Amino acid sequence: MAEVDIRKLNTWFKDNHVLKDLSLTIKENAVTAVMGPSGCGKTTLIRAINRMNEIISGSRTTGEVYINGINIYDENTNVYELRRKVGMVFQRPNPFPKSVFENVAFGPKIHKMANGKEIDKIVERSLKEAALWEEIKDRLNDSAFSLSGGQQQRLCIARALAVEPEVVLMDEPCSALDPTATTKIEALIREIGEKYTVIIVTHNLQQAARVSDFTAFLYVGKLVEYGDTKSVFENPKSELTEKYITGEFG
Amino acid sequence: MSRIRDPKKRSLFLRHLREEPIEVLLFLCASFSIVVLFLMLFFITKEGSQAFSNFGIDLIIGQRWETNENLFGAFPLIYGSIMVVAGALVIAIPLGVTTAIFIAEILPFSLRDLIKSLIELLASVPSIIYGFIGVIYLAPQISSFFGISSGTVALTASLVLAIMTVPTIVGVSGEILSAVPKEYKEAALALGATRWQTIRSVVVPIAKSGILASIMLGFGRAIGETVAVLMVAGNTAVIPTPPWSFLSPVYPLTAVIAMQMGEAAVGSLEYSALFGLGLILFILTFIVNTLADMIVKRKPKMRSGRKWPL
Amino acid sequence: MASVTKERVLFVIFGVPMVTCLLVFFWIVFVLSTGIGTLRWDLLTTSVLQGGIFEMIIGTVYLLLGAAGIAGPVGVLAAVYLVEYAPRGKFTRIIDQAINNLAGVPSIVIGLFGYTFFCRQLGLGISLAAGWLTLTLMMLPIVIRGTEEAIKLVPASFKEAALALGTTKWKATSSMTISSAAPGIITSIMLGVARVAGETAAILFTSCVLVTRGLPKSPFEPVMALAYNLFVKIVALGESPDEVFGIALVLFFIVAFFATAAISLRIHYRRRQPWLR
Repeated sequence: MAEVDIRKLNTWFKDNHVLKDLSLTIKENAVTAVMGPSGCGKTTLIRAINRMNEIISGSRTTGEVYINGINIYDENTNVYELRRKVGMVFQRPNPFPKSVFENVAFGPKIHKMANGKEIDKIVERSLKEAALWEEIKDRLNDSAFSLSGGQQQRLCIARALAVEPEVVLMDEPCSALDPTATTKIEALIREIGEKYTVIIVTHNLQQAARVSDFTAFLYVGKLVEYGDTKSVFENPKSELTEKYITGEFG
Repeated sequence: MSRIRDPKKRSLFLRHLREEPIEVLLFLCASFSIVVLFLMLFFITKEGSQAFSNFGIDLIIGQRWETNENLFGAFPLIYGSIMVVAGALVIAIPLGVTTAIFIAEILPFSLRDLIKSLIELLASVPSIIYGFIGVIYLAPQISSFFGISSGTVALTASLVLAIMTVPTIVGVSGEILSAVPKEYKEAALALGATRWQTIRSVVVPIAKSGILASIMLGFGRAIGETVAVLMVAGNTAVIPTPPWSFLSPVYPLTAVIAMQMGEAAVGSLEYSALFGLGLILFILTFIVNTLADMIVKRKPKMRSGRKWPL
Repeated sequence: MASVTKERVLFVIFGVPMVTCLLVFFWIVFVLSTGIGTLRWDLLTTSVLQGGIFEMIIGTVYLLLGAAGIAGPVGVLAAVYLVEYAPRGKFTRIIDQAINNLAGVPSIVIGLFGYTFFCRQLGLGISLAAGWLTLTLMMLPIVIRGTEEAIKLVPASFKEAALALGTTKWKATSSMTISSAAPGIITSIMLGVARVAGETAAILFTSCVLVTRGLPKSPFEPVMALAYNLFVKIVALGESPDEVFGIALVLFFIVAFFATAAISLRIHYRRRQPWLR
């Protein structure tokens, strides 16, 4: 439930200029897909929204990103609070080597959001939101690795939702999963898109068309086209977009 | 090569040999280590057997080690070894583990190689140099600081051993910490954890068993250290009074062997007793190293259950 | 922002132990440097019989050359077997563990074994050859481990390309894998040498005597060595530190040379080999 306003974002990794003067306004409570060929900067873009690029040495970012009107690149920003408000789900499921419960409880604990019985409630709520509760409610103390790939990814989604974010970033969340798991997660994405602002990176055009309300097309670090998904796919304004959609490159 | 029991495998193996006779040579070189270990066990036991048959279990628990009276009870020596090593570990473990965490997680990348190399250089300093410095600098300092007549006491030996053990702990722990997959760290950071929270709640728990293994390896190194402790431990075969007094000289096992082998007549009881001590050391370090190996090998079980669906 | 300051404080606290370790290292170098004055060129080149330490240096060099000459090839071949040829199974794991165990055997125990097996059983007596074999036992795990790592870093595709052209496995391995891993192999041999150069306990009763008449003319004669001499002089003969400082320094320099060379080589080649990070 937050609007993400990106203004003239530039990111360098050492000498490599990855994002070039990117400006984009992500609508709140919707699913926005970011697509484009390999190396176009999709992952860098979403990692700029939770300032995870800074972890990589040699990275530099200029520009502004406003979430609910506040510039997150302002020097007074509490980056830890930012990352609570902007959650992230990674390409390969990466649950901690702990129990299912501990995975979901991790976020609330470190942010001191609750303790004792309250944490149990948070864990249950999150797992339900991630459509995982019914399957594992009796296995909360099992190792996260005893889950299937698709379940692990839903666990990661639950973990991200547990800290009550406003924005959820997803970096190709289904690329490491089989088709059945992918379908489940795509349904989940549409569901949580109604409550959170979801930005999903995908290289799968059909997935972007299935899942998102809005689509942005990136090419070599620049924003080529952005609009509601139907228009972008059926009536692309840019020739480049059309070529990408019809598979001439990518 | 009767080690391969399965007939199918054996014929495959033999066929292999005909194709590549060099593989025999390679195999022999690889098996060298096992053969040597067995030879060691055999010969040391053989030479020590006289002492063991003479004293039985008293060789280990006997309280008096008097060469002149042909009395060989190694308990004070074992006590000395353990005491000195315990003292060393008390210092080396906190020092080593925190240093390893610092280097692996906190130090900026650019400095990492340099600092790791310096610590590796620290590990390369021969023990005799440590002993040398211990004798000429450390012992006199300890002697004057505590007001005792001679600085060659258990404390000095522990200090020297601590410095020698830290690089082992740092090296192995450091490797384990670097091997923690960065996807866990990213997941924690993306949830808003601070670096410290990530280290404490994610990285260290994952590296725990590896760090434990590094401590065990440090213990093994320390208990096997000969020259450095010999030069500073005092070399008196007594249990200190009171037993926890580090300001008293002790006689670690390794030092005894080094000091007395030169004089012991081949085949004498003393000679055999020294080999008995060698056997104790061999078995002790063997157990410690095997345990450390098992702990490290246990790591993959962490990922049991479904692996990445790739 | 309190959590950020708290974190900074914690990191500083964590940095103290590391700084302590480094301080100790520099302290050691400092202490040793105070004795530089005792080093004179003629000390190094004069025979022991005239107050110099020449034979000790050469003796140490002889020991190191021989040990490296045995441990090098055996270790590399063993590592090649373990990485390229060994079937995945219990026996290979046992060999692996045996190497780790060998690495953990106290040097004095290796010395004991060396004496009873090489010197007495094999009849070598207290000799250079016995020293070679004993020191090889200490070098071997280091060479094997280092070579294993170096080989594992070479991309399998090099070897596969050679195999696809029809060479035997050994030819492919030796021509591609071993030669590509050469810097790493040399590094590990040098680290092994650094390790045994200062080794005292292993040579204590297997190969050294206090004084020899000239250099050994055959490997079956005993030899003088820096570490041994330093040890005996301080411990048995009770000589004062000043008298032996020269020996200690030369020994330290030899070890420092090999260790530094090995580490620098490793860093240098890691940057140059394009297939590494």
